[in-house]
Amino acid sequence: MTDATVMYPRKPKRIKGRSIAIIVFLTMAAMFFCVPLYVLIVTSFKEMDQIREGAMFSLPTTWTLEAWHFAWFEACSGLSCSGLKTGFWNSVVILIPSLIASIALSMVTGYALALWDVKWAGPFLFILFLCAFVPFQIIMYPLIRLTVTMGIYGSITAIAFVHTVLAMPVLTLIFRNFYKDIPPELIKAAIMDSGSFWRIFVEIILPMSGNILIVVLILQITSIWNDYLIGVTFGGLGTKPMTVHLANMVTVSTGTVSYNVNMAAALLTAIPPLVIYFVLGKFFVQGIAAGAIKG
Amino acid sequence: MALRWSRVTPQIALLPSVGVTLVAFLGAIGWTIYMSFTRSRRLPEYEIDWENPFRQFNRLFNDAGWQISLQNLIVLALGSGLAIVVGFILAAMIERERRGEDFFRTVFLYPLAVSLIVTGVAWRWIFNPQYGIEAFLKGLGWEGASFNWLSDPSTAMYAIIIAAIWQSSGFYMALMLAGLKGINTEIWSAARIDGVSLWRVYLEIIIPMMKFTFLTCAILLSLGVIKAFDIVLAMTNGGPGQSTWVPAYYTINAMSAKGNLGLASAAAVLMLLITLAVFLPLVALTAWQQRQAGKGDAA
Repeated sequence: MTDATVMYPRKPKRIKGRSIAIIVFLTMAAMFFCVPLYVLIVTSFKEMDQIREGAMFSLPTTWTLEAWHFAWFEACSGLSCSGLKTGFWNSVVILIPSLIASIALSMVTGYALALWDVKWAGPFLFILFLCAFVPFQIIMYPLIRLTVTMGIYGSITAIAFVHTVLAMPVLTLIFRNFYKDIPPELIKAAIMDSGSFWRIFVEIILPMSGNILIVVLILQITSIWNDYLIGVTFGGLGTKPMTVHLANMVTVSTGTVSYNVNMAAALLTAIPPLVIYFVLGKFFVQGIAAGAIKG
Repeated sequence: MALRWSRVTPQIALLPSVGVTLVAFLGAIGWTIYMSFTRSRRLPEYEIDWENPFRQFNRLFNDAGWQISLQNLIVLALGSGLAIVVGFILAAMIERERRGEDFFRTVFLYPLAVSLIVTGVAWRWIFNPQYGIEAFLKGLGWEGASFNWLSDPSTAMYAIIIAAIWQSSGFYMALMLAGLKGINTEIWSAARIDGVSLWRVYLEIIIPMMKFTFLTCAILLSLGVIKAFDIVLAMTNGGPGQSTWVPAYYTINAMSAKGNLGLASAAAVLMLLITLAVFLPLVALTAWQQRQAGKGDAA
């Protein structure tokens, strides 16, 4: 670049103009991307009277938290009118075991496949690669039967179980790809040192996994939190996650629709993953890239 | 001692995942394929319908809802394919102009962190004829403004596509950005010295060099479109009428609302076949890339 500038002294000016054009364009695109979030936010703080005036982009004339309060404590989802907080806590209770089970299972599987001499590792990885892309619909009904047989259908356990099953292929491939770059000499030395499979895992592998663990954690938190289909299919009456409560709230509405409440409810559902995203954005990018291409 | 352990323990540790694969994936897929050849209604019947084994598939293809679903699948794939184009343009601009890279990337990618149910609420609100963008534009004096797309069967799909593009462009931008950064910067200096215009550098050098990134994006997009369910549910719930049904929606609907397991299984089997048709190129691509190990895999 600098060579070019030396050779063509007039270049910098043109580049500058182009820079401004690009930044203007990107800023406009960024504004377009922010529109849905912006209207959600301003609408959720408005009173219904102002919403009826139809100026969706205007700021609230009087900022009020009423809609947020109502959405959290009182709004009706189906027959129960206890607000979104029920769904929120359900989602939290679903999230924790789903995270632990799915990550533990895939981590150990990835570790065993990457570093230990398992003869059928190749074919198994290929099958996992195929399973990662299978549409959920084709295994949905059998999984319902399976969870019914196990006696867990309709419970938090069932939802966590299905999350674990569905995430296993992708996460295993992610962990395996991460661990396969560990030099085999390290493992051989550890085995000589009478290290067992589990001891090596706990003492060597786990301490090395910090980075990939955060990536996977973020990937899983967002996908489990944002899931709708598994929650609605495998959850029982009192165990449905927040997304399902939100969907019921905004579709089944009798009488006049309180748009401000709907928007506040949507924001409440979106806040946890958004906070994680804005705080740990770099890892999020790595996570979706790793989750997308498992090559 | 160490040797014996090293052979047995890993295999034991792999048992749970092998079990899950055999039962919850392979077994379940086999079961659903089997069901698609039976006369199962609400509950499974385990006798294959030998008289007319393809009964469910015949019914499926004679069902207007399924035909609409397939058409919408293509419309959705082509329409949301724009997300790849948008993603590339954004990535190219961000890569050219390094200033503000983190900021712009964060903004373009945030829709991906949000549940599609939330996305649906936001976009339905924007398309709301009384209070949404239509009312806003009318307020500005454009009386002919008409954005009541969601209640019109001929436009509802386009509203879904817009929401889908908004939601996924950032994802393709991130993949494209990774691809662009892998390109040797010397190409730029060389092209500049030769006086080649920026457009031509992109069209004739950069894009051909990134053909595998584009192909990967296209395949991922197709796989995502086949799975698309949440966004349809959140935007239109399949309506108006059946106008925004897609295969994933059809299958769930056949299972839960219609309570027809045989038909739902046949639809799910076809979803799997469509997935395989899209997926096999990806397998070939991965194999090809691994053979060309010189470049190294970014992901």
